[in-house]
Amino acid sequence: MAGSALRRLMAEYKQLTLNPPEGIVAGPINEENFFDWECLIVGPDGTCFEGGVFPAKLTFPTDYPLSPPKMQFTCEMFHPNIYSDGRVCISILHAPGDDPLGYESSAERWSPVQSVEKILLSVISMLAEPNDESGANIDAAKMWRDNRAEFDRIATRIVRKSLNIPL
Amino acid sequence: MELKSLSERKRRTFLRYLDRLGKAKDEDDGEAESGETKRKPTNWMEEAEKRLELLKLRVEKDGGDDDDKDDDDWDDFGSSDEDLSDIEINEKQSKMRIELVILGSLVLSTSVVGNAYYQKKQFYPSVVHITKSNPSMMVMYIQALVIVVLLGKLMKKIFFGQLRAAEVEHLIDRSWYAITETCLAFTVFREDFSTKFVALFTVLLFLKAFHWLVEDRVDYMERSPIISWLFHFRVTSLLLVLGVLDWHFIQVAYYATLTQGASVQLVFGFEYAILLTMVAMVTVKYALHTYDINRENPWEDKAVFLLYAELAIGFIKVILYMMFMLIMIRVYTLPLFAVRPMYLAMRSFKKALSDVILSRRAIRNLNTLYPDATAEDLANTDNVCIICREEMVTGAKKLPCNHIFHATCLRSWFQRQQTCPTCRLEVLRAPGNPIGNPAPPAAANVRPPQQQAAPSPPPPQAANAPQAVPVQPPLPPFIPPHHPFNFPFPMPNIPQQAGANDVRYVPDANGQRPVMPPPFSLPPFMPFVVPPPRPPANLGALSDAELRAMEGQERRHLEARIRVLRDIQTLLDAAVLQMNQYGILVARLEHESNNNTETVRSTGEEAPVASGQQAEEQQPGVSATSSPVENEVLTPEEETNLSDQERLRRRRVQRFMNGGEQN
Repeated sequence: MAGSALRRLMAEYKQLTLNPPEGIVAGPINEENFFDWECLIVGPDGTCFEGGVFPAKLTFPTDYPLSPPKMQFTCEMFHPNIYSDGRVCISILHAPGDDPLGYESSAERWSPVQSVEKILLSVISMLAEPNDESGANIDAAKMWRDNRAEFDRIATRIVRKSLNIPL
Repeated sequence: MELKSLSERKRRTFLRYLDRLGKAKDEDDGEAESGETKRKPTNWMEEAEKRLELLKLRVEKDGGDDDDKDDDDWDDFGSSDEDLSDIEINEKQSKMRIELVILGSLVLSTSVVGNAYYQKKQFYPSVVHITKSNPSMMVMYIQALVIVVLLGKLMKKIFFGQLRAAEVEHLIDRSWYAITETCLAFTVFREDFSTKFVALFTVLLFLKAFHWLVEDRVDYMERSPIISWLFHFRVTSLLLVLGVLDWHFIQVAYYATLTQGASVQLVFGFEYAILLTMVAMVTVKYALHTYDINRENPWEDKAVFLLYAELAIGFIKVILYMMFMLIMIRVYTLPLFAVRPMYLAMRSFKKALSDVILSRRAIRNLNTLYPDATAEDLANTDNVCIICREEMVTGAKKLPCNHIFHATCLRSWFQRQQTCPTCRLEVLRAPGNPIGNPAPPAAANVRPPQQQAAPSPPPPQAANAPQAVPVQPPLPPFIPPHHPFNFPFPMPNIPQQAGANDVRYVPDANGQRPVMPPPFSLPPFMPFVVPPPRPPANLGALSDAELRAMEGQERRHLEARIRVLRDIQTLLDAAVLQMNQYGILVARLEHESNNNTETVRSTGEEAPVASGQQAEEQQPGVSATSSPVENEVLTPEEETNLSDQERLRRRRVQRFMNGGEQN
C-alpha cells in the first residue's frame, strides 16, 4: 500500500479524469511520479482571458494534503495575482501562518478539504476577477486598476500566444 | 492498467478542448474581423490544425507507454517543433564535447606516459621523470579527474540508471556547498596540503554525492506507485556498499588519529561518521517504505516510526557535530566549514523534536477530547474522510463541530494546526478544556451545544467573582425567561458521573488525565452531584503502597489535584453566575408580576425560588467537600509548583467562599 499522499493524489487524478470539470485538464506529468502535475486552464468566458488555454505546473509536497501544492504557469502570464515567473499567489495555496503579502484571513487558507479541482477553479475565478489588493505583479495590478484597456490588450496578446496564434 | 487508461483520457480531453476552442475562436474571429484581413484566421486555423495533427500523431505513436516522451510533449506545449530539435541538437553537441574532452585527456596522458617510457626505457626512471615534470603531472591529474568522473557515471548507471531532473538539481546545489566548504577546510589544513589530501577530499565528495542521490531515490519511493525489483536491488546494494565504505574510512581515520595524532584525518573521520548516520536514516526510511508498500492496507504507524527515527538520527548528528566542533577548536581553530552543516543538523533536530512533541500532544488530545464516531454517525455522513478521500470504516473521530475524520489523518493535521479541517473551528479552545474522556454515548449527543455554550460565560464571571453584586448584563441564551429548566446542560450523564466518583481521582494506567466532569454539567438542581474526589472511608484497610499512591508524590497526582482545583474554581464561578442570573430573573419577575397573569407567575416564580434554594444549599456543600482537598494541596512544597496564576485563582476562590459563609 502506498503512502497516504500518493493514494490521495491518485484518487484526485481519477476523479478529475473521469469527471473533468469545465475548463480544466490536469494530471501527473509522468505517472511514475504523482507529485508533479501539469494542467491546462481555459480562460473564463466573458473576460479578457477568454479562449486562452494556459498550461501550468502543480508541485505537491510529500505531506500533501496537509500542506498546499505550489502552482506555476509555464506560459507567459500578465495578471495581478501571478508573479512574473508564473507562480500563482492566491490564499487557497498558502498554509495558514504564512502570508506573503499580508492580506489574507485564515478562513480562506489551505486546509486538507481543498483539492486540485478547487485550486484550479479558484485560479479560473482569479483570472476572471483579479484581486488587485494583494498584487503579486504590481505592474499588472496597477494597470488593471488604472488602464483597463491596456490590460485587456496585453491579455488578448497572451491569449493568442497561449494558442500559438500569430499576433 | 488503470493509470494508462486515465492518461489516455486526459489526452483525449485535452484534444477535445483544443478542438472546441479552435472552432469557437474561428467563429469569433470570423465575426470580429470579417471585414479586415482574412489572413489571420486562416493562418490560425492552419496552425491549430497542425498542432492537433501533431498531438494526435504523438498520441498514436506513444501508444501510452513512453512516458518520458509524454513529459516532453506536455512541457513544450507552447513551443514549436523547431525548439524541440534545437534542444536535441544542443544535447548532442554537449555530449560530443564531453567525449572530446575524455578523448583528449586520454590522448594527452598516453602521449606523456609514452614519451617518458620512450626516453627512459624503464619503468622506475620513467615514473620519476613524470613526477619530476610539472606539465606531465598536470596531465596526469586531469586524467585522474576524468577517470573519477567516468567512474561516477558508471556507478550512476549501475545504481541509479537515469537520474531525474530534480535529483540532478539537488546534486548540483549540494555539490556547490560541499565544494565551498572543502575550500574552507583547505584553509585550516594548509600544512597538510598535498596530493593525497586533495585525492581524499575528492573521494569524500564522490561518496557524498552518492549518499545524496540514494537519499533522493528513497524519498522518491513515496511518490511513485511503481517500484520495480531493480529499484530494490539497486538501493539495497548501494546502501550496503556505502555503509561498508563509510565504516572503512571511519576506521582508517580512527587509527590514523591514534597512531599519528590529530591531523586532517579527524575531519574525514567525522565526515564519514555523519555520512554513516545518513546511510542509517536512509536504510530505516527504505525499510519502512518497503514494508508499507508491501502491505495490503494502509499502515498508520509509519509516520510515527519515521518521526522517532528522525529524532534519534538527528540527535546523533547533533552530538557528532558538537564533538567535532569541540575537538577542532581545541586542536586547530574554529572549523568554519562545519558551521553550516552543523546549523542545518541542529535545525532539523529541533524540527524533529517539535514534531514529536506536537504529534504526542495531538494524539493525547485525540484520545482524551474527542469521542469515536459511532456507526450511526458514519451512516449519517457520506462516510468519506475528507483528508485522505478514503472511506471510513473504523478509527474515526468526531470533533465538537460534528465533523468526522480518520483518527490518523486528524492526528497528522493536528500536528500542523488545531482546527477542524472543514469548518476551522479551533478545537482546543472550543471545549472548556477539562472535558474528560470519550463520554458515554448518551452524553455525546448533548455535547456540542454544551461546548459552544461553555466558553463564553466564564471569562466575565472570573473577573466578577469576588464582588457581591456584579454588574452584569443578562445573558439571554443562558437563561431564557420563563424557561428556567431549559439549560444547556447534559442531564443524562449526571448519574453516571456520580457513580464513577470513587474511581475518578485515580489517574488511569495510560497516564491520561483522570475523568473530570465538564465544568458546566453541574446543574443547580442537584446538590452534591460533583463532589471532588474523596479518599475511601476506611483508610485502615489500605496497604502502604496504596496509601502512598493516594497521597500522591508523583507528578501526575499533583497535576490531577491541580486540575481538580481548577475545576472546582470553574464550578464555583458557574454557581455564582447562576445565582446572579437567578437574582436578575427574580427581580425581573417581581417587576413583571404586576402585569402578568396568574399562570406565568406560578411557573416563573416557583422554579427560580426552588432552584435558588438548592443552589444555596449546594454552595456550602461544595466548599465543605472541596476544603479538604484544598488543605491537602496547600503544602508549601506543592504550592511552589503552582503557577502564580493558579495561586491567584485559588485565593479568589477562597475569598469567594469566605464571602459566601459570611452571607
